Parts: sequence; C-alpha cells; structure tokens
Amino acid sequence: MIKRALAIITLLIIGYWLAQGLAGVPFGQDKMLVGRYYLEHVKEQTGAVNAVTAVVVNYRGFDTLGEVTVLFIASTGVGALLWRKKKKRTARTEGSVVLTTGTSLLFPFVVLFGAYIFIHGHLTPGGGFPGGATIATAFLLLYMAFVTYEIPHKVFEKTEGLAGMGYVAVGLIGLAIGGYFLFDWIWQTWGWGQSNIGRLFSGGFIPIIYTLIGIKVGTELSGIIDNMLKEGVSE
Amino acid sequence: MEEAGKISRYLYTVIVLFLIWLFLTASTDPQELAMGLVFSLLIGAFTYPIFTTRGLANLHPRRVAYAIAYVPYFLWAMIMANLDVAYRVLHPARPIRPGIVHCKTVLKTNPGKLALANSITLTPGTITLDVDGENYFIHWIWVPDEVLHAESDEEHVERASSSITAPFEKFLRVIFG
Repeated sequence: MIKRALAIITLLIIGYWLAQGLAGVPFGQDKMLVGRYYLEHVKEQTGAVNAVTAVVVNYRGFDTLGEVTVLFIASTGVGALLWRKKKKRTARTEGSVVLTTGTSLLFPFVVLFGAYIFIHGHLTPGGGFPGGATIATAFLLLYMAFVTYEIPHKVFEKTEGLAGMGYVAVGLIGLAIGGYFLFDWIWQTWGWGQSNIGRLFSGGFIPIIYTLIGIKVGTELSGIIDNMLKEGVSE
Repeated sequence: MEEAGKISRYLYTVIVLFLIWLFLTASTDPQELAMGLVFSLLIGAFTYPIFTTRGLANLHPRRVAYAIAYVPYFLWAMIMANLDVAYRVLHPARPIRPGIVHCKTVLKTNPGKLALANSITLTPGTITLDVDGENYFIHWIWVPDEVLHAESDEEHVERASSSITAPFEKFLRVIFG
C-alpha cells in the first residue's frame, strides 16, 4: 500500500516536471532549422519524394545501419539464449480446415504486400522495416496454422547474412566512388532516374537498400519466431 | 481432387499475384508493371506449393462467371441477414432462440469449405463454430421449429443444411468443386 502510494506520488512529480519542460515548446509555430533544409533539398539531392525515408536512408544512413545491427544482435541473442542441440515444434493442435486453408490462401498476398511496401519506400509511407515485418507476419501465420511447419533454415540464415552484407557493400561502393561511406552513387554519380522523380525507378539507392533491409528484417523476425516457438527435446 | 501440374499451379499463382499488384498500385506505369511482374514471378516461385492445388483450372470461364455472380448474391444475403439481426436487437421482446445445429456439405475442396464457412459467418444469425470433414457445426440465433422438433438426427441435419448451407452451395459447388 505504502509502496504503491509512493510510486504514484513519484510518477506525479516526474509527470509535472516533464509537463513544465514541455510547456515552453511553442506548438503550431515554425521552428524548423535542419528540417527546412531537408524539405527544400530532398528532391534534387536524393530523388526521393518521401522525405522521411530520404532522411533515414540517405542523410542519416548510418543510424539505419545501426538499427539493422541492433535487429541482427537481437536475433542472434535470442538464438544464443534458446540454443539447444535438438529442438522441435511441440505444438499438438492442428488448426481447423478454415484456419489452415485461409492461411495458405493469404500467405502469398501478405508476402506480396510486404514487397510492395519496401519497394515503394521512397514514394509512400513505409520502407524496409514495415515491409520486412509484414513478410515475417506471413511466416508467423504459417507457424500458427500448421503444427509441423518450419522455415527452411539454411536458406533463411544465408539470405539474412547476404542482405546485411549487401547493405554494407552498397555503402562501401559509395566510399570508393564518392569519398564517404553510404554515398548515394546511383543518384549523384550516375544520375540514374533523375528524369522521372516520383515514379518507381527513381530515388537513387533508397529502393535498393530498402529491398535489402526488407529481406533482412523479414528473414530475421521469422528466425526469432522460429526460435521462440521451438522447445528442447530431451532424449 | 487430383493435383494439377507444377507449371499450371505456378502460372496460376503468378497471375493472381500480378492482379493483386495491379489493384495495389492502381497504375499502368510501365515501371510499376515491370516491377510487379518481377515480384509476382519471384514470390510465386516459393509460395505456389502452399497456395493452390488445382492451378489454372481455377480460371475456367464457368467458374469465373459464377464467382462474379456470387458477389451480389452474397451481398444481398448479407444485407437481409443484418437487417434481421437489427430487428432482433431492437425488438422489445428480443426474440432469440439460440442453438447449435449440425449441417453437412457437398463441397469437397478445402477452399470451397473455407468459402462456405466464411459465407455462413458473415451472414449474421449464423456462425460457423467448427468444420470437421463434411460436418459443419453452426451456432444459430433463431433455430426454427422444423429443426428444433426434428424427430431423428438425419432429419435435423437435412433441414438445417437445406436452410443454411444449400443456398450458398449451389454457387460454391461450381466455383470450387
């Protein structure tokens, strides 16, 4: 009782303190400094219509590389924590015909929609992370509906590694051509897609990086699901 | 239900995926079409074994025509059934007589069974609880007298089926077989 009261009082104090700090922020007024630069130059500098993805992949590409690394470490960490020599699915209840058939019919659509999200990252909201999460959802559906389903591990782990290496390789090519890591060589050196900003084949290396990220995130989250759904088997 | 050849199943998956892509992009820009084709071919390559068992036979003109005719038929059934449930909710005496009934279906394929189960659930008043082989267990909001007072199990199944599954089956039997 005293514990709970103390916790509520502390939270109220912290909340008041934060509200005091935020009260000084002028809402509805123009206070952009760097933001204005992004909005004014995003089209001619990156070829992307979606300013968010241009910032995330192009202006601040290093942060995205860090995020991809964090996800990779999470996946490896789950794999290491739950490591057993022999693991298998222990689920016993097969879904009804409605669930299994519905899943089989939905699976290609979900994967296609994930691909649609990540390839249109420079035009519409979304990008590699939502697209990849959508693809992982498709595999989660298969795991939930079929008691014996397992992802093809060899293929998935290799694809994941190759996609991550592809991202770094794109950055390194930029280093070789333009002088710094993650330099957008497709846009700035080749000028590819400059005539059709706003259409699909534009946006410099954003669609390529987002395709790689989408594949990587999709396979990674599927791997985490796989690890968590399997239990060790004692012999 | 025999399985169609691999090529036929693959092509059917690619065609369906490409149609979905066209609906998603709503554009006939050649760049979008090219990318959609690439994705359909790629995704179709690893999803077709899960997606379909009958392949291109699904695109038989008779089946497509029945599928298109089924849409307004089903929507009309849905509207009428929704009005019926609204009547039961708003009626002061709340005339409900719930019960679980047992139906049988003539459909053989799994997609057909899925379509029938969903059609039953989406027309309010009936909800599919479980499907087991050819048996459907359905929760009904108003079990009519002739089903309630059926003398034998066969009669019960027959009367329930004729009022719940049979109206949809005449379409679904052609569409899914």
